[in-house]
Order: sequence, then C-alpha cells, then structure tokens
Amino acid sequence: MEIGLSHYLTVAAILFTLGVFGIFLNRKNVIVILMSIELMLLAVNINMVAFSVHLGDMVGQVFALLILTVAAAEAAIGLAIVVVYYRNRGSIAVEDINLMKG
Amino acid sequence: MIADNLPALQVVLPLLGAVVCAMLRRGTLAWGVALIVSLLMPLCAIGLLLEVLENGTISYAFGGWPPPIGIEYRVDIINAFLLLLVSLIGAVIMPYAKSSVEAEIAPENHAWFYAIYLLCLCGLLGIAITGDAFNVFVFMEISSLATYALIAMGRDRRALLAAYQYLVVGTIGATMYVIGVGFLYSMTGSLNLVDIAGRLADIENSRAVMAALAFLTVGISLKLALFPLHVWLPNAYAYAPSMVTSFLAATATKVAVYLLLRYYFSVFGVAVVFEELPVTEILLFLSLAAMFGASIIAIFQEDAKRMLAYSSVAQIGYITLGIALANQSGLTGGIVHLFNHALMKGALFMALGAVFYRIGTVKIDDLAGLGKKMPITMGAFVLAGLSVIGVPGTVGFVSKWYLGLGAFENGWWWLAFLIVISSLISVVYVGRIVEVVWFRPISQAARSAKEPPLGMLLPTLLLTAATVYFGFDTTASAGIAGRAAELLLAGLR
Repeated sequence: MEIGLSHYLTVAAILFTLGVFGIFLNRKNVIVILMSIELMLLAVNINMVAFSVHLGDMVGQVFALLILTVAAAEAAIGLAIVVVYYRNRGSIAVEDINLMKG
Repeated sequence: MIADNLPALQVVLPLLGAVVCAMLRRGTLAWGVALIVSLLMPLCAIGLLLEVLENGTISYAFGGWPPPIGIEYRVDIINAFLLLLVSLIGAVIMPYAKSSVEAEIAPENHAWFYAIYLLCLCGLLGIAITGDAFNVFVFMEISSLATYALIAMGRDRRALLAAYQYLVVGTIGATMYVIGVGFLYSMTGSLNLVDIAGRLADIENSRAVMAALAFLTVGISLKLALFPLHVWLPNAYAYAPSMVTSFLAATATKVAVYLLLRYYFSVFGVAVVFEELPVTEILLFLSLAAMFGASIIAIFQEDAKRMLAYSSVAQIGYITLGIALANQSGLTGGIVHLFNHALMKGALFMALGAVFYRIGTVKIDDLAGLGKKMPITMGAFVLAGLSVIGVPGTVGFVSKWYLGLGAFENGWWWLAFLIVISSLISVVYVGRIVEVVWFRPISQAARSAKEPPLGMLLPTLLLTAATVYFGFDTTASAGIAGRAAELLLAGLR
C-alpha cells in the first residue's frame, strides 16, 4: 500500500484531536496543557508539509519552519508564566484557578 | 520616497522602536522612544487613508518581490480606516501610559514594558495592513505573544493566571487559523489573499474549502471574543495593567473583527458565506446572545473593570450583528461601531485607570462618592457610559441607528426592537456605577482621592470629547464606514 496525502492528513487529524482532548479533559497540570497545544501546532505542521509535497511547492515547508518558531515562542512564554507563578505560590496545580472567580 | 514606503513604515517603525526600547534599558528614555513612534503612526495612517481615498487601493510589494510570490501589503478603505483607528488610540494612550505605568509596574521592567507594547502595536498594525494569509498569522502571533506578556505584568497575582488562560485560548485560536490557511493553501496553492479569492472562484465549494472557512471562523472568533468563546476576555481585561486594558479593549478585538470581515467579504465572498451557508443565522444568534447574556452578567459584577469587560463582549455582539446583517446599513453600523466602541471603551478604561492610580482599587463599592473627589474623571466616565447605552448625541447612538436601519432593510423589525431592549440593559449597569459614584457617601478608599495628573486626565478627556464629537458630526466616521461597507459588499458576488 502506498502512503499518500490522506494518510498524512489522518495522522495529523488524530494528533490534533488528541491535543484538543488533552486541553479539555486535563484539569490538573498546566504543563500538560502546554504540551497539548504544542501537539496541535505540530499536527498543523504535518498538514503543511504534506500539502507542500502534494503540491510540489516548497512554500509549505518554509511555513512549517515558521510555525515551529512560533510554537517555541509560545512555549517559552507559557513556561515563563508558570515559573513566575510557581515562585509566587509554590505550586502549579490548576485548582488554584478558582482564584479567578470573583 | 517616504510617501511610497508608507505601508512598510507603518509596521517597521514600531518594530524598530521596540528594539531600541529594549536596548535603552531606561524607563523614561524608552517611554520617549515609544511616544515618538506612537505619534508618528497616525501620520503614516492619515497619509495612507488620504492616498486611498484619492487613488483607490494601494498595493505594496514588500522588498520588491512582486505578489503573489512575495508578501504584499494591501491598503484599501477598510484597513486604512482601521490603521488610523489603531494608531490614533496608540498615540492618545502613550502620554497616559507614563504615570500609569510608573504606578503599576516595577521600575526595572519599564523599558521592557514599552518594548513589548510596541511589538503588540506592530503586530496589530501588521494584521491590518498585510495582504498575505500566512503573514497575518505571523503578525497575529507577534501581537498575541506580546499581549500575553503585557497582561502577565499586571500587579494582581491573578494576572498571571489570566495571561495563562489567554495564552491557551489564544494559541488554540491561532492554531485553528493556521489550519484554515493550510486548507486554503492546499486547495489553491497560494497564500496571497487576493490571489486565493481569485482561484477559489474557479474551484467548486469542496469540503476542504468549507473546512477552511469553519476553522478560520472559529479561530478568528476566539480572538475577537465572540460570545461563547469570550471566556478569556473578562479576566485578561480585569487583571492587566490599566494602560494595557485601555489599549487592548480599544484595538485588539477590532483588528480580529476586521480579519473576519476580510475573509468573509473579500476572500470567500458574500455569495458563499451568507447565501449558501447559514452563517447569517449563526452569527445573528451568537450576537444576540452576546448582547443580552454578557450585558446581564455585567450587571452582577463587583469589579468595575470586569463589568466593562463583559460590556465589551456585549458591544462586540453589536459589531458581529452588523456583519450578520450583511447589507449596506447594517455593515456600515458594524464598521462604525468598531470605531465608536474603540473610542468609548478606551475612554472608560482610561478613566478607571485614573481611579486605580489614585485609590488603588476599582471595586464598585470602593468607588462610592468618588464623584465629589474626582469630578472631571468621573464626568468623563459618565459621558462615555452614556455612549455605551447609546444616548442620542453620543457615538453609541450613531452605530445603533445604522444597525436598526440595517435590521429594517432586511425586514426584521423585531431585531431593531431587540437592539433597543439590550441598550436598556446597559442602562442598568452604567446606571449602577453612576449611582454609586455620585449619590453615595464617600467610601474609606476614596477619602484621599483627587484628580489624576494632567498626563492621564487629558487623554481621557480627549477620547471622551471624541465620543461626543463623532456623535454629532458623523461625516468622517460613518462616511468612511459607509464607503468601506460598499466596497466589501461589492467585492465578490
């Protein structure tokens, strides 16, 4: 069986769904939320590269690199916030989010 | 020479300004740089707007690479109007920022703060000006990443959580957006918006195009805080530093709305979005839910900043209502409300920022009696509040008038009726603050309050005056919005 565009897209769709579920089902750990986001962006990357090969056009791969950069910046800011939060409170449990009400 | 490169300068100047600010490391100097850049921005924007009004759409090939291969900056009436709005708010807010930032942010962070602020400005202007779908994503990320950092600088400990929440939601939005762009790229092989629009016309509406439209809509709606996707907004606005709240409330969501307009009207076209798909019904329902739901939640808030944040969600409902109507008057109403809402929310949040500067809290109970101590600031607050309600003679009335006309144009008289009722709800929450501020005995917190420094007072008064001025003289705001609506509706059939 030859592996074609639809296979790549399926893998990407599965990864993306995993990422979405990771965010919505996980209520304990903020780091896992960050990882789930990363997973979603990587799924998009697989899409981009698959489209690029499919169209025979390098542009998609250039953008995949740009998306990687953006994902890294995102993670950097997210982790920075987590570090500052940990310094302030000594824990990163999401239950503290109850503070947000009121 | 300079006139030819205005589109590039509009984005490059704040970007360079941010680098200079970061290297200066001295708060006051960085503020000076940010002030100069912010004051130059409206000049660029006015230049572009005049040029567009006279000669039509400007297309600027970045770095001399012709589109669709290179990145194209494309300015027409709609985004020239938006550029002017964002850069004017940026210019008005900078003098205000100095005292506010000194009071709320640690001195060693001032230079960083201004650097990040300029990056945010650069990102917002970039989204508005660029004509390349992927470039929009990059600028969206520049502005969003900067926004997360700005919100996290809030003095309240919860600012960190608010920033984190916005980071998660905002990134999901950006991911959805980039998937949409990916699908468009796979179908058309192009990333230039005009080029995509041209090629989409030849392709039948396959599922991939529909998926692209769906992903783009959800992604952008997260950024513009359309009703059920607004959860990040109240916390982010409530805990961010005052200056950041005023700036974001006046600009960030507006730029996202513009992006939605661009995709609906210039890329996919009215025929696909509004006639083949049930977008009108969905947007109409969500807008009404925002106008009523968010307004009612606003009534029960204890914190004035949170209350205004919910009111923002409701006001965004009016803007999307204008988009849903998709006729000349309705769209004019939506676009003019972009402008008007930026003015009034800017003024309201600035007035609250001034209160926070003097008494260190914006809990509604602590505001009691403040009218006697800070009559000018609170007077401005009331005027801008009247504008939120939509009293004739203020900008709020102008937008609601056009929206009402648009509703009648579609024959939906009940919609005009609902617009009036939702305005009555805003009477309740604005009235609540007015009652507390002017008619209650002075609270403990407000006892030693006095008017804020001139640097904060004048920008607040300027925006408030603008809400009244544009309520009477609508030739500039509604006139341009009308032409923009005409252009959007004529764009693709």
